Amino acid sequence: MNTLPLQPDPVIEAYKKGVDRTLIRENLRRSVEERFLNLIALQRLAEELRRAGRDTQRQP
Amino acid sequence: MIDFAALLRCLSEAGVEYVLVGGAAATAHGSARLTQDLDVVYRRSEENMRRLASALASHAPYLRGAPAGLPFVWDARTLQRGLNFTLTTDLGAIDLLGEIVGGGRYEDLLPDCITIKVFGVACSCLGLERLIHVKRAAGRPKDLEAVAELEAILEERRASGEP
Repeated sequence: MNTLPLQPDPVIEAYKKGVDRTLIRENLRRSVEERFLNLIALQRLAEELRRAGRDTQRQP
Repeated sequence: MIDFAALLRCLSEAGVEYVLVGGAAATAHGSARLTQDLDVVYRRSEENMRRLASALASHAPYLRGAPAGLPFVWDARTLQRGLNFTLTTDLGAIDLLGEIVGGGRYEDLLPDCITIKVFGVACSCLGLERLIHVKRAAGRPKDLEAVAELEAILEERRASGEP
């Protein structure tokens, strides 16, 4: 490994408080493929929500 | 929408040497964040650029965000003349990176890669710690949440006894 040890960064530590670790733990129990399938489902949802938003704006 | 399976198969079946980085690599490591493109660092050898050009040629590659109708030619010479390309394809958005800030080129990243198997394709993916270093080095405010999540993943993995 070429990687040096990570030094704590106070800004990132502050952001870390907002991380939902329950989602991380759930994901770590999944296989890599299941994680990608989840991402694809999330993309579909985002796409559908964008479409719904556009449709709403077009309504008189 | 990105067709991850088709894009990864397309690259791998053509024998392209690449490393998964960015949001897709984060997903492989357990990130729950949404990513809208596939970021790969490709090897800048003549043979690999020829393979890469050929792999994407039938998928309508075009410069993302550029106006339609530009005389953009997708071939190995275009890859040779440039370095990083942000493209749309009919399989989804893909960023082809010859070099990344804080990570360097394909050969520099290889020692810190892991092999993942996804959708039947074995591909090199940047390891979690190096991915964090690279995202930190990029220094983009939009990456701060992503870095925080990746560091939390590393902590969770270590807490559960993973190396």
